[in-house]
Amino acid sequence: MNPPKATRTVRLSNPEGLHLRAATLIAELVRHYQSKVSLHKGSRRAEATDVLQIATLGAAQGEEVVLEASGDDAEAVLDALVALFRDRFGNEDDANP
Amino acid sequence: MKFANFICREAIRAHLDAADKEGAIREMVQSLLDAGRIAGDECEAIVKAILKREELGSTGIGRGVAVPHAKHPSVEELVGTVAVSGRGVDFASLDGETVHLFFLLVSPPDRPGDHLRALENISRQLRDDTFCRFLKQAKNREDIEQLLDEADNNQFGS
Repeated sequence: MNPPKATRTVRLSNPEGLHLRAATLIAELVRHYQSKVSLHKGSRRAEATDVLQIATLGAAQGEEVVLEASGDDAEAVLDALVALFRDRFGNEDDANP
Repeated sequence: MKFANFICREAIRAHLDAADKEGAIREMVQSLLDAGRIAGDECEAIVKAILKREELGSTGIGRGVAVPHAKHPSVEELVGTVAVSGRGVDFASLDGETVHLFFLLVSPPDRPGDHLRALENISRQLRDDTFCRFLKQAKNREDIEQLLDEADNNQFGS
């Protein structure tokens, strides 16, 4: 049987876009889950555990990123990721990307 | 954004002397100062801003690479430099490895897009193992300049 899959679309609301600290937080978060997670911007794809790949997306404010997960906790990891995006990556201070 | 658009060639360092994080950052900022790209009286403030950013989480992102950076109002456009450390620097990296390749960026607070595009370019090139290997093996500034030019001409990266 195929593992459960989940997908979400998020829009970057913070002025800094998907900066390095955001990428690091994403990579750290998904390590706590067993599902395989990827981020997509248009045709570009990044493994969520790989900071360099996420930074290569170059996702800026206002752009959409599609999150995909595959595994038993697919829904849970995407819920947590969406919360991280909504929280603008855990920092009210956007001065430090 | 290409390396030529933000890397100050005169500030490139092929042999970083520092053995620790703060020392490495100071050396790179000093190189930008020596190259005339930042003001002398802002040097310390820029070092402090970069160190403050490191406190939020290391910019040592694995694979022996770090991208220390900060915003600072004293620069009018994004400016950066590249440095290579032969022995490696303990940068508290995500993967615990020492850092050999540094891309340091200082950007104006009101230009987040430029910072993001520079980071996108650096990340894309660093994903190419050949680019990283050649950069680590660079013997002098000219070697690094040539590698950056080749990267700008799409000879590396995905």
